[in-house]
Amino acid sequence: MKTMKKLIYLLLLFILKWNGLNAQSICFNPMFGASKLVLNKQYYIANSTDSIQIETLKFYISNVEFYNNEQLLYKEKNSFHLIDAADSSTFNLPINFLSNTFFNQIKFNIGIDSITNYGGAMGGDLDPTKGMYWTWQNGYINFKIEGKSNLSIAKNKEFVFHLGGYQNSFSTLQTIQLPVQYLSVSPINIAIDKWINEIDLNKQNHIMSPSKEAVLLANKLSTIFSVSK
Amino acid sequence: MKIKTIVISCIIFLLFAFVSADGFLFTTPKNWPKPVYNFKKNQLTDSKILLGRVLFYDPILSRNNTISCANCHSQYTAFTHVDHALSHGIDDRIGTRNSPALMNLAWHHSFMWDGAINHLDMQALAPISHHDEMDENIKHVTEKLQASKFYPLLFYNAFNDSTITGENTLKAISQFMLILVSANSKYDKVKRMEDSFTKQEENGYRLFKQNCASCHTEPLFTNMDFENNGLPIDSLLHDIGRKRITKNDQDYLKFKVPTLRNIEFSNPYMHDGRFKRIYEVINHYTNIQNSKTLSLKLQKPMILTSNEKVDLTAFLLTLTDKEFLFNPKFGFPKEVLLR
Repeated sequence: MKTMKKLIYLLLLFILKWNGLNAQSICFNPMFGASKLVLNKQYYIANSTDSIQIETLKFYISNVEFYNNEQLLYKEKNSFHLIDAADSSTFNLPINFLSNTFFNQIKFNIGIDSITNYGGAMGGDLDPTKGMYWTWQNGYINFKIEGKSNLSIAKNKEFVFHLGGYQNSFSTLQTIQLPVQYLSVSPINIAIDKWINEIDLNKQNHIMSPSKEAVLLANKLSTIFSVSK
Repeated sequence: MKIKTIVISCIIFLLFAFVSADGFLFTTPKNWPKPVYNFKKNQLTDSKILLGRVLFYDPILSRNNTISCANCHSQYTAFTHVDHALSHGIDDRIGTRNSPALMNLAWHHSFMWDGAINHLDMQALAPISHHDEMDENIKHVTEKLQASKFYPLLFYNAFNDSTITGENTLKAISQFMLILVSANSKYDKVKRMEDSFTKQEENGYRLFKQNCASCHTEPLFTNMDFENNGLPIDSLLHDIGRKRITKNDQDYLKFKVPTLRNIEFSNPYMHDGRFKRIYEVINHYTNIQNSKTLSLKLQKPMILTSNEKVDLTAFLLTLTDKEFLFNPKFGFPKEVLLR
């Protein structure tokens, strides 16, 4: 039985290879300044004595699409990926897509769309055991960041931002479109420091429900994704 | 140890044989609307329903294994919390609302008094995680279930997979809740021409249709909407209702219209359980104070004589469905949980 399965798998692999279908992958790199983000590391904020450390960073990437100019070439099915800074194996999204096809744009969402939020219990990265689901008012947390900074006046100098919300004016879903080189996708850098700097931690140290404030902070996420040169 | 596991396995296996022969299929009662629950994404099977029923009655869902769903949703009181205005959960902590009666849930597109939950599958997460209810989290629940003697087998029977996920746990609980259909009260029998109302009930039905049916719409006896029914806000609880979710001023003091089915057994009434008796509820509706978001359907004063109030009550009692309240298929699964 096992050998049979293996054979079928090899055969499938061969056919895929033969058709030129090759696993592309998109790599996300959470960055802090010029280097990759290290969780729980104390970073100093430029030109000040203030410091910050990130303890948790988790977010959803969904609905990945490849374009040639405006023409949609490929849309990933069941495209929901939970990226967790504590687990670098989640940084790479394998995408089964023709490697010799010319594309120059990639599009994806940060977060989970409204239809999926109405869809009931789901598995895989969408399983509510992943800690990215609100229970008192149901819905996915699109982007979660937690840490400490001496700027925060909260207990233990903590800050907690859980950005979510899918209904009308409280939607925090972000769509990102980036130009990419055609034969492979270069890593996509996420400038976490740039986003954190937009927040006055002294005045705001937590968001844990759908709100106008969550929408404002989520809107700023779209500016921190870029393709590394 | 091993023998015990084998014995439990055999019992579960036999139980399936028994349950399967009985068959718990979901049918839409005649002349009812189509359910809104998407059964295609969670197809009912006997083994999944049984698993859901076991989970519903098992306090393993709570932090210290003391509180089950049934604690606040007891079958004999139409799956609500008997004798408690505000439901209490773990460590005797008291919540802020009266637990809703559970029935005919396949027809609902929102849950909770304020509609905070948009899908039946996700409903159970709220009480599981709530500090005053079960104070647990779904990840830890799946770990406890995985470590138990019989759950991996129950999950395997149900989902062909003994690895316990949040998705499957929630889907199984949904399956049990979906089969809680109450459609066999005297009212239903009269509608099916199998029985007839007394004169008093008949008059009560007429009054009901004139005064109550625009919100408590037949056959589910709720329009599923949110309304401000004129209750003054409780200064201690300060519950603003639907506005908490939508943050819209128009939704201030609006709560979901509850079903009236099995009302005889689902007391106390209202979102905070402030009324113990049906007559107190009716008296409230005949003495409504106007307010900004008061339901348009309540703007015109409701005038009932004391005889009419009695007749209306007589009709409301015809919504009692004893078959539902005492159906052993919905009861505590002692075959599994008392092992």
